[in-house]
Amino acid sequence: MDAKLIVIIAGAILMLAILISLFVLRSYSGRFTFDTVTGTRPKASEGEGNTSGSQLKGRFQILSFAAGASLVALIAKLWSMQMVSSDHYETLSEENRTRTVTTAAPRGRILDRDGVELVTNRATLNVSSYRSLADDTVTVRHLANVLGLPYIAVMRSIQDYSQSAQSLHAIASDVRRSTVAYIQEHAAEFPGVNVVEGSERSYPYGTLACHLLGYTGTITQEQLDKQKKDSSKSAGDITYESGDIVGQAGVEGRYESLLQGIRGEQTVRVDSAGTVVGQAGSVDPRPGSDIKLTISLKIQQACEEGLKIGMERAQGTARAGDAAAIVCLDCTNGEILGMASAPTFDPSAFVGGISSDDWDKLNSEEHRTPLVNRAIGGQYMSASTIKPLSSLAGMEFGVYSASQTTNCTGFWTGFGKSSGKWCWNHSGHGTINLRNGIVYSCDSVFYDVAKGFWNAKSDNDGLQQVFRRHGLGEATGVDLPSEEPGRVPDKDWKESYFKDWTDDQRSWNAGDLLNIVIGQGDILVTPIQMACVYAGIANGGTQYVPHVFLSAVARDGEGDAATYQKKERLTAKIHAKADLELIRDGLHGMPYEESASVAAHFNNLPVSVAAKTGTGEKSGEDEYGWFVAYAPFDKPQYVVACIIERGGFGAECAMPAVRNVLGAIYDSPDTSYSGTSDQTM
Amino acid sequence: MSSNASSLKRVNKQRSSVRGGISQQVNVTVLLATAALIAYGSLIIWTASLSIAEASFPRHLLGIGLGLVLAVLLARTDLRGLAGMSTVLLAIDILVIFSPYIPGLSYNAKGMTGWMKLPGIGLTFQPVELAKIITAFFMAGLGAQYNGRIDSVREYAKLCGMLAIPFCSVVLAGDLGSGLVVFMGGVVIICMSGPRKEWVLATIAMLIGLVSLLLAADSVLDGLLGHDVLIKQYQMNRLLVFIDPENANSDDAYNLMQSLIAVGSGGFFGKGIGHATQSGSGFLPEAHTDFVFALLSETFGFLGAFLLIALYAVLILATIRVAYKADSPFQRLVCAGIVGMWTFQIFENIGMCIGLMPITGIPLPFISFGSSSMMMQCATVGIVQSVWRHRAKSS
Repeated sequence: MDAKLIVIIAGAILMLAILISLFVLRSYSGRFTFDTVTGTRPKASEGEGNTSGSQLKGRFQILSFAAGASLVALIAKLWSMQMVSSDHYETLSEENRTRTVTTAAPRGRILDRDGVELVTNRATLNVSSYRSLADDTVTVRHLANVLGLPYIAVMRSIQDYSQSAQSLHAIASDVRRSTVAYIQEHAAEFPGVNVVEGSERSYPYGTLACHLLGYTGTITQEQLDKQKKDSSKSAGDITYESGDIVGQAGVEGRYESLLQGIRGEQTVRVDSAGTVVGQAGSVDPRPGSDIKLTISLKIQQACEEGLKIGMERAQGTARAGDAAAIVCLDCTNGEILGMASAPTFDPSAFVGGISSDDWDKLNSEEHRTPLVNRAIGGQYMSASTIKPLSSLAGMEFGVYSASQTTNCTGFWTGFGKSSGKWCWNHSGHGTINLRNGIVYSCDSVFYDVAKGFWNAKSDNDGLQQVFRRHGLGEATGVDLPSEEPGRVPDKDWKESYFKDWTDDQRSWNAGDLLNIVIGQGDILVTPIQMACVYAGIANGGTQYVPHVFLSAVARDGEGDAATYQKKERLTAKIHAKADLELIRDGLHGMPYEESASVAAHFNNLPVSVAAKTGTGEKSGEDEYGWFVAYAPFDKPQYVVACIIERGGFGAECAMPAVRNVLGAIYDSPDTSYSGTSDQTM
Repeated sequence: MSSNASSLKRVNKQRSSVRGGISQQVNVTVLLATAALIAYGSLIIWTASLSIAEASFPRHLLGIGLGLVLAVLLARTDLRGLAGMSTVLLAIDILVIFSPYIPGLSYNAKGMTGWMKLPGIGLTFQPVELAKIITAFFMAGLGAQYNGRIDSVREYAKLCGMLAIPFCSVVLAGDLGSGLVVFMGGVVIICMSGPRKEWVLATIAMLIGLVSLLLAADSVLDGLLGHDVLIKQYQMNRLLVFIDPENANSDDAYNLMQSLIAVGSGGFFGKGIGHATQSGSGFLPEAHTDFVFALLSETFGFLGAFLLIALYAVLILATIRVAYKADSPFQRLVCAGIVGMWTFQIFENIGMCIGLMPITGIPLPFISFGSSSMMMQCATVGIVQSVWRHRAKSS
C-alpha cells in the first residue's frame, strides 16, 4: 500500500511539473511549441530549415541498417546455439528430463569346494515409494499401521535425502508375505506405494565359518575416499556409491571385486517438478561372480564341532576354555579345508546394518572379541609344538646330536642350581635322547639345546634362524584380511621392545633362550603358521601359501572367471635328511607311544598320524592347549592345528578337536570315549 | 464519419481506375508480413495450449479479432490531425500509464501489477501497451515541428526532456521493460527529427554515465535506507544473471538456463510439435508469454526462428519504406517510432531468450500470448497502413 501511495504522489507531482513546464514553454519564443494550430506545417520542398531529400534518405538507410543489424545479431547468436552447440544443449535438455536410477546387482554366492552354498542371496519383498509420497500423510499413516512401524520412522525413510529424489525409497525390507498381499489387494488405498523384490545376504549354515566368510555392510566413507584417490582404476572396475553394500571382512572383504556385481541403470522421464512420468530404458544389472572356496563343508563342520568338543572338555577340567581356533589344510597345495575360530558371531546380524550395541559386544574383550579370526589373527606362544624346529636347529648347528642324551631329573640345572628350570614332568624322564624328547616333550633335552646355543662360539641365534626359515615371525600370506605375523624374539627385538627398561633388564639372556626353545616366553605364533610349519615338515621343507580361494564361477555360466594357482610360500633348507627323519619319527611316536590314553584315540584311525602337543603357560591364566597333527604319516596330505585358549593340557583339550577333524576326513569317528557325552558330538 | 465515407468512395473510384489496385490503399508487404506473423504466432500458441493450461487458444484468437477491428478502424483514419495535439496526448499518456493505480480500475492477479480492469465490461487490459502508441504520436508531434532539422542544442535538449516524461512515468509505474520500449521508440523519433550527430553521441555518453552512476548509487542507497530504492532487487538480480549466468543463483538464472537449453536443443529442424520437452514438461517458465521464442525455437529449430526473424525483417523494412514514402514529417516520425519500438522489443525479447540481453517482462510482438499486446500490435500495423493510405494527401 505504501509503495502505491508513493507512486500516486509521485505521479501527481510529475503532472504538476508537466503543467508548469507547459506554462513556461508556452511563453518561450523558440520554435518549439506544444500545440500548433494547424497541425504539422506542410512539407516545404526545399529551403532553410528543411531536410533535403538525400539527408532524409540517409537517415532512413541508417535506421534500416540499425534494425537489420539487430536482427542479424540475433540470427548469428541463434546459429551458434542451434547449429554449432546444439549437441551440448541437447545433452542438457536430455539431462533435464531424465534421471538415472541405479539398480543393485545381486552379489555373487560363496560356495564350498563341492559347490554347496555357504553364503547366498535371499529374495526379499520390500515396500518402497517415491519421495512425493511424503506429501500424502494419510497414506503414510495408514501404511505405517499396516507395516507395524512408527509413523515417524516411515516418514523418515520416505524423505531420506541421502538417496536421489527419483529413486525408490525403501520403507520396509523383508516384509511378510501376508502384509505384502494386503497392500497389493488394497492398492487403491496405497497410491504411490510399491512392492519391489530385493535381495539380502543369507547364511544357510548360520554361524558356520563366519570368520572365514566375513560379513557385508554399507560402504564406509573411508572406503569411498580410498576409491577416489586410487588412480590405478581401469575402466571396467566397479565404481562404488554411498550406500552400496560391500564385503567388510573375510572372504566377503578379500574377494569383494569378484563378488560385487555391476549395477544396472534405469532411466526415467521426469517433469520439471521431478515427478516420474515414464520409463526411458534400462541396463540390466550384472550379478557378481560366485566364488568356490577350498573349504569342504564336512571338514569345516568337523572343525567347528571339534572346537566345541575341545572347549567343553576344557571346561570339564575346570578351565575357562572360552576361545579357540583350528585350521585344517592340505599340505600338498596349501588349500584350507576348514578353519574355525571361537567364539563365533552371526553374520546375518550385519544384514541391514548392525546396532552399535551389538558391534561393541562383538569387539569387547569381555565377550572374547568374537569378530577376531583367531586361526589367522590370534597370536599365542607356540609351546612344545615348536620342539621339532628346536631339534632341527640343535642338530644343524651341532649343539645337540641325534645320539646325545640328557638325564632329565625333572629339574634342569644346566646353568647352575640357582637358575634351574623345571621340566613339565617334575618327576623326570630319566636318560632321554632327542627323538624321545619330542615324543615325551621333555623340556630338559631342549634346555640342553638352548644351553648349547648360548655357549656356542658362533650362531648363537641359530635357533631363531631355523624358526624364521620355517616361516615364523612372518605372515603366511593367506588370502584373508587381518592376518598377524607372530614374533620370533631375539636380542635386537628385546632391546627395542622394552625401551623403558634398564639396559640390564632388556639384555638378551639365557633365560630367554630357555623359554623360546620350548615355545614359551615371548615367542608368538598363529595357528595357521603352525599348520604351515607342520606342512613344511611333512613335505620335507616346502610350504605352500595357504588359501581359501579355489575358483570364481561366472554366474552366466561362462566358466571359471578365475582359478587359484598354487604358490610356494617357502622351502626351508633342511641340514640333513637324517635330521628330518628324526623329528618325523619323534612326531610319529608321540600319538602312539607317549601315553596309552592318547594312543587309544589314534589307534582307531585307518591311517597313522604324526602329531605334537603343546601347553602354553601364562602366569595367572589357565594353560593354552595346542595340538598339531599331520596325516597320513607316510604320505602326508592333511595338517590340522588347534589351540584352546585357557583350555589346559593340549592332549586333553586340543587333541580331541584335531581327532574330530581327522575322524571326519577318514570317516572314522572317535570311538574311544565311552559313556560320555563327547561321543555323541 | 461522413468525410470518411466520402473519402472511401473516392478511394474506391481510384482503385478501379488509374492508380491501379489495392496496393495504393493497403501496403501489401506490411499486410502479408503481419498476417504471416499472426498466423505463425497462433500456431505457436496452439502448440503451447497443448501443455500449458493458461495458454487459452480461443482467448488468443479473441485478441487477434479485436486487434484486427482496431487495425481496420485506424487504417481508415487520417491520423495527421494528432500532430497538433501534443498537450492532450501527453495528458492522456500519463493518465493511461498511471491508470492501474486509480482505485476502481486497478486489477491485481497472481501478484502482477500494471493491469487495469475496465469497469462494466470486465475486460482486463495492460494500459502500458496503449501508452507505447500514444507516446509515439506525442513525440512524433513534437519532432515534426522541426521539419527535419534541429538547429539549436537547446531545442534538442527540450525534445529529450519531453521523452523523459513518459519514460519516467512508465518506469515509476513499475515496468522498466516497457519503459525501455517507450524510450527506444522516442530515441528513434528524436534521431530522425534531425539533430546533429555530435549531440546524439554526447547524449549516449551521458546516458551511459548516468546508468553506471545509478547502479553504483543503488546499492549504497539501499544499504543506507534499508530497503529497495531506485532499482528493485529483482531487477538487479536480472542484470547480475545476465552478466554471469553460470554463477547466479536465482529463479532468473534457472529461467535463463532453461530458455538457453530449449533454444539450443531445438537444433536445425526443431523437435516438432508436441515433442518440445523443455516447454512441454514445464522446465521452461512463461513458455507462452515472455519466453515464447524459446518454445518456438525448440519446436521449429533454427529454421523456424530464422523464418520468424525474416518476417520481422520484412515488416520492419516495409514500414521504413512506408515512412520514407510518407508525405508529412509527422507520419514519418510516427512510423520511425513504431520501427524503433518493434526492433527494440524483438531484440530484447529474443535476446533475453538466447542470453544476449537481460531478462525483462516484455512480450514478443504478434507471437506472445496476451490480448493487450496483440491488440496494440495490430493497432500499430493499422497506424502504418493509415500512413500508407494517407501518404500523399493532406486532410
